Parts: sequence; structure tokens; C-alpha cells
Amino acid sequence: MNARALTSQVLLGIAPIALLIGLWQAIDSLGYAPLSLLPPPGLVFARLVQQLFTGAFQQEIGVTLLRLFAGFSIAVILGVGIGLAAAASPSVNALVRPIVRVLAPLPKVALYPALLLLLGFGHASKVTLVAADALFPILLSTYYGASMVEQKLVWSAMAAGTPPRQVLFKVVLPAAVPSILTGCRIGLVISCIVVFLAEMITSSDGLGHLLVTAARTFQAVDMFVPLITISLLGLILNALLQAVRSYLLRGFPEV
Amino acid sequence: MISARAILSRSASLLACLGLLGIWQIGALILNTESFPTALEALRAIPSILGDKEALINILASLRRMAVGFALALVVSIPLGLMMGRSRAIASFFNPLLMIIYPVPKAALMPIIMLWLGVGDIAKTLVIFLGVSLPVIYHSFQGARAVEEKMLWSGAAMGLSALQRMIRIVLPAALPEILTGCRTGLVLALITMITSEMIARQSGAGNILFNALDMGQYDTVFAMIIIVGAMGIGLDAAFENLRGRLVRWSEPRFDIPLSFS
Repeated sequence: MNARALTSQVLLGIAPIALLIGLWQAIDSLGYAPLSLLPPPGLVFARLVQQLFTGAFQQEIGVTLLRLFAGFSIAVILGVGIGLAAAASPSVNALVRPIVRVLAPLPKVALYPALLLLLGFGHASKVTLVAADALFPILLSTYYGASMVEQKLVWSAMAAGTPPRQVLFKVVLPAAVPSILTGCRIGLVISCIVVFLAEMITSSDGLGHLLVTAARTFQAVDMFVPLITISLLGLILNALLQAVRSYLLRGFPEV
Repeated sequence: MISARAILSRSASLLACLGLLGIWQIGALILNTESFPTALEALRAIPSILGDKEALINILASLRRMAVGFALALVVSIPLGLMMGRSRAIASFFNPLLMIIYPVPKAALMPIIMLWLGVGDIAKTLVIFLGVSLPVIYHSFQGARAVEEKMLWSGAAMGLSALQRMIRIVLPAALPEILTGCRTGLVLALITMITSEMIARQSGAGNILFNALDMGQYDTVFAMIIIVGAMGIGLDAAFENLRGRLVRWSEPRFDIPLSFS
């Protein structure tokens, strides 16, 4: 694609976003909505920038990120582990498959009250909910990636004298990395969303709690700020994972 | 005809359910605290919830909103996704916007939308609509993009207009992928419904859960969890059945879609 086509494509992509913000501003400027219900975009973004530099707000982001990464890491470890085991061993597969089939479409957020009762109102219940939600995309994509490894690769490794246990880590795992990373991307965005929702439902700190507090006092500006912050965090983490992906997969044919 | 394998896989899911309930029962017996009732106690509380007229009306109202939100999302998202898949200009127009919307927690919009539209059905349905739209758009987009060009050329050569090609070639060819998106969307509709009700705490199944939690009716909490879980599993199984009938010619790539959350 030449540079000119690329520029026009980028412009075309920016257009709806600009239109949306323009519409938002216009609704306010023309007086269709009271400013207390829909604060103008300039005000919201100014407030966002101002908040990002205050210690209290950074602390809330820190709490949210801590829960997010704790839950996500548990999900990655369990998901990749169980997924590989299910792909490698037929007996594990026979056990895991029906359980996953039942648990994957279960709305995990419904378990949250039970987690609150069992684990208390602190970090543990939220981290567990995040892990439960992020687990399945990672587990499934690991499993699908690992079970679609070209059989010839496995045979060649065995013919070259690699013991079966090492075949799993030297052949199957690296070949499944693209699929695992796709699962991790889905899982990461889900983690962002779930940690925020869990904090909104019951919490005393974190970004989700900020939104709820603002909603109780009808501070519309302060309702937008945490919501935009968590979405930006999602975009940034997604981009970071994309960078890790293109570094890890630099030798792979199609990424 | 149902093959032996199908019977086995069906009974395997049932066995998994029973196994999970068994683990719960044993875990609760070992922990033996008041706040964690056994599976049997929770199951015994289900008839009293479903027999309570007010609770039943609440749950049915939730399901109705969910169905309306889901249906509206399909009506908007499938044509949009298909058009994005067939036209590069439309795709590059919408893609960045959708990418920005993707990480926004949809159920978290509930307080803001309630501020604008009140606590009525419109706000709740809108949130469900938003939650369902993205996966359906994404899968329709992928499905339409993968349509064989030759079929479209043949269609054009035989004098089909652009709209006719879209309906008679692209739609059927992309149907398996679209239905995968719908399956994810259906579960997401349920999730968004429960989550937004938990946040708004006005009415509905999510509200019953937290009211019971506040009042310390622990067996009701766990019974509601079973009901909601059964809804998720039941809806998914029913849709999978429908999908199997509609696109029997297409083997699903994966039997469980990745994008549940």
C-alpha cells in the first residue's frame, strides 16, 4: 500500500471519532443537554489530565492495576498449563473438556456474590473473578493452538530422539505461541473490563469505585474520567501485548 | 440419527455438572460455615424463588430486555459487519472507532446512561445492545471478508445487483461465522444484563442476587447463581443446536468460541 492510500485510510478512520466528539460538543453548545448531565468534551479531558497528575488518583489506578495483573497472571498460568495438558494427554482432555464446556458459557459475574461470601470484600474476591473470566479464552486458545501443531514436526523431533516430555516444551509450546498470545489479548481486555465492573459492584477503592462515588453525587465529569481511564489502560495494555507479540513472533511467517 | 459419540458427549456435560455440584457439596460440608450453604440446600431454595411471583416477574422482565437488546443488536450489527467486510472504505471508516470502544466496560455505562434516560427499560436495553454489538460486528466482518471472490464475480456476471449479491452470496457464505458471533453475543447479553443490574440495583435477576446477599439469605444467593448459570448454559446449548441445524454444511472450526467473558 502506498503512503497516499495509507494517509487517506487514516483520515477516514479518524473521521467518525472526530464526528462523534464534534457531535458531543455540538449537543452541549446548542443547549440540547444540560451541562450537568453531559459535560463538554474539553472539560472532561482537562479534568482527566488534571486527575492523572494527582497522587490520590494515581493510587486508585495502582490498586486497579494490581488486581488486574494478579488476576490476569493467574489466568495465564492456569490457562496455558491446563490447555497444554489437555492437548498433550487424552485422559486430561476427557476430564477437562466437559468441565470447560459447562463453565465457559456460565456468566462468571454471577459467581461474584459467592466469591464475596467466601473470600471477603478485599482483593481476593476481585482477583479471583478476574482470573475466572480471563481463564477461558487463554485456556481454549492454548488448547486449540497446541492441538493444531503440525504432526510432522512432532514426529521429526521424536525421530531425532527428543523424549516425549521435551517435545511438549520444545516443539508444541513454541508452535502454539501465536494462538496463546491471541488468547492472552482477549483475556487482557476482559480482565480490564471485569476488574472495573467488580470494583463498581462493591469496593472501597479503585477506578470503578470512583465512578460509583461520582454517580452517587451526580458529578457527571467525574463519572467520565475513570471510565475513560480504564478504556485507555485497556488500549495501552493491548498495544504493549501487541509489541511483545511482534517481538516474540519475529520469525513466524504470518503474524 | 444420534450417534453414540453425541450421546457420550452430552452425558459428559451432564456428568461434569453433577461433578461440579458434588465438589461444591463436599467443599461446603468441609468448610461448614453459614455463609456457604451446600449444593443441596441451594438447589432446595430454587423452587421458592421460582414460585415467588415477584421474583419470577423480575427475572422474566430481565430476560425480555435481554431478548430485545440482543435482537436490536443483530439487526444493526450484521449488516454493518457484512458491509465492512466487503468494502475497504467502510472498514477503515469504522475500524478505529470500534477499536476504541472495544475496551470500554459496557455495563459500566449504566450509571451514565441512567442519568440521561432514567431507570427504565430503555437504559437497560441500550446497555445490552452495546454489549452484544461488537462481537457480532467483528464476526460478520471476518465472515464477509473471507467470501470467495470468484463467487461474487460469477454473481455479478449473471447480473446480480450489489444488494442481491450481498443477500444471496455474502450472507449465506458468512453465516457460520456470523452465528459464532451471535453465540458469543448471546452469552454476553446475559452477562451484561446481570452486571448492569448488579450495578444499578433497581430490579432484575442481578438485583435479587445482591438483595439476598445484603439480607443474609445465603441459600437464595447460591440458588440464584445456579439459576443464572443454568440460563447461560441453557441458552448457549439451545443456540448451538439451532446453529447446527442452520449451517449443517459447515463444520465449526472450534466447538467453544474463544471470546466468552
